[in-house]
Amino acid sequence: MTIWVLIGILIKMLVVVGVTQGAVAYLILVERKIAAYAQDRIGPNRCGREIGVPFALIQPLADGAKMLLKEDVVPKYVTKPLYILAPWIAIATAMIGFAVVPFGPVGPNQIIDFQIAPNVDIGILYVLAVGSLAVYGVILAGWASNNKYAFIGGLRSSAQLISYEIPLGLSILGMVLIAGSLDMNRIMAWQSRHVWGILVQPLGFILFFTSAFAETNRLPFDLPESEQELVGGFHTEYSAMKFGMFFLGEYLHVITVSFITVILFFGGWDVPFVTSPDQSGLLWAIVKVGVITSKVGLVILFIMWVRWTLPRFRYDQLMDLAWKSMIPLALINLVMTAGIVQLVRTYWV
Amino acid sequence: MTNGSFILATIGILLGATGTYLLLPHRRGEAKPRTLYILGGTFAGLGLIGFLLLLTPPALSPLADFVAGSFFYIFAAGAIGAGVMTVTSRNPVYSALWFAGVVVSTAGLFLLADAQFLAAGSIIVYAGAIIVTFLFVIMLAQMEGKAVYDRAARSPGRAVFTCFLLLWSLAYCLATLPGAEPSDADSVVSARQRLRRGRELASFYPEGGPAQARIALERSLRPTSSLFVDGDPMKPKPNVAGLGEALYTDNLLAVELAGAILFAALIAAVVIANPRPMTALPASKSDA
Repeated sequence: MTIWVLIGILIKMLVVVGVTQGAVAYLILVERKIAAYAQDRIGPNRCGREIGVPFALIQPLADGAKMLLKEDVVPKYVTKPLYILAPWIAIATAMIGFAVVPFGPVGPNQIIDFQIAPNVDIGILYVLAVGSLAVYGVILAGWASNNKYAFIGGLRSSAQLISYEIPLGLSILGMVLIAGSLDMNRIMAWQSRHVWGILVQPLGFILFFTSAFAETNRLPFDLPESEQELVGGFHTEYSAMKFGMFFLGEYLHVITVSFITVILFFGGWDVPFVTSPDQSGLLWAIVKVGVITSKVGLVILFIMWVRWTLPRFRYDQLMDLAWKSMIPLALINLVMTAGIVQLVRTYWV
Repeated sequence: MTNGSFILATIGILLGATGTYLLLPHRRGEAKPRTLYILGGTFAGLGLIGFLLLLTPPALSPLADFVAGSFFYIFAAGAIGAGVMTVTSRNPVYSALWFAGVVVSTAGLFLLADAQFLAAGSIIVYAGAIIVTFLFVIMLAQMEGKAVYDRAARSPGRAVFTCFLLLWSLAYCLATLPGAEPSDADSVVSARQRLRRGRELASFYPEGGPAQARIALERSLRPTSSLFVDGDPMKPKPNVAGLGEALYTDNLLAVELAGAILFAALIAAVVIANPRPMTALPASKSDA
């Protein structure tokens, strides 16, 4: 390991942070457009028309400027250190979770490893660990705001996130058992040698995707901020960029979750029926990055589509779903997978 | 540990104990004078610095010495400092948060020691689930202001004395530990130790010839992890696979025992949590 490796990692971190932040800015535009189409409106279409930019493509810039220029209100009655800390936790946990996500080919014969931390053996467990810290942002925001709506939002959120972490972790384990590793690169390698994960773990996929919705606080599981009951939920008291940071954190979580969905269940950068013996070189690397990002884009579009399609759950329904159906199903899935994997490994391989 | 560093450790522990005692909340939950807090903070900080001087960062790779070293000191100081803050905070919510800080710092230290699974596991289990549940309960219990018993320290003097005596005796044990003497006997013992591991036993048998035992062993130890599929030094160390192997070969009995105990606890929790129908209560009473 030389100093250049360190500099390379720093550059990679800067690029990833920059690209994901830019992607988040445009995802907000996409979400608004999808919301508009779902509600039979047009959505943002004016911003940038004067200077000849079509489709309101500089709307994210305007949104960002608005966030930065608004008055940053810190109410008198809040617990100030935690009130300021909470949005930072939200955004930091969302960002460092991305460190082990491979967004392109990784390996000894590659020019660039498309992953910030390629030597993390625990791979997916790291994402789960960092994701489990994200609840602090929400719960602290709710508590520090000293406001009953925010507080109820924070309480709901902590119960929801703890509950849905269990099926989230259990549903991943099936795929981990089959691929024999927690490392996301190896899971993808297994899928490109055999079949996509969704074909061998359909139940695991459904459970994972459902709990991912709950973990990212997206509809139909956005009870922590349900507007008609709790004003704005945990971020009621937040304004300007502090609110923007929660927003950013949520979308970064969506991106990370979509990456993991694609990596675990949709073969990563694998294109079915394209089998070429030698897939190294820069051109292949770029193609693979393109494939995985477009798959991730489709998953994100699906998540947004669901948001404007399904109504919100009631809170007891939400808890019932996690504890009474998803956790037992995930356990059954895990035990069945373990049995089948052991049988196959013993008698067929 | 030399004599000099042992004396340094003793001074550090004494300073830390004094500082912690001063920082601990009042016995009746009242606020102490500001100077006491400043004094306590200074003492505890000096003790922390003295203690950090004793630690040596792990050496991982040539460049990593600087990076890993600085991270080591950050995490070590974070763990100890957050630990002191956990016991001295007057607000239980802050205590829980500092406890989360301890867990995260410890996970960082695990990472530096190349124990990635342990790091992720402790964050998921402690910081991600248990402390969040603590926070949940504390926040629900504190709806009407803070209670006195939450802010007060019960017999702070005795507690500080016990804890730092334990710490000092640990340091003393380390100081009196005989230095490691590299000898042939050591390597023989370690080789014998390693032979107990199933798969290494399999590879111990000669490759050629009628190695029936080896074949039988390999068949009984089918690789369900990729530990042996690619034992390539270029690849990342198979942390998880190695841990799993150690758990399920050398420590199988302990794992099974822990599983049985947890299962019993699970059944008990289900029995306790299940609400009984009201009519069933008198009947069971008459039975008893």
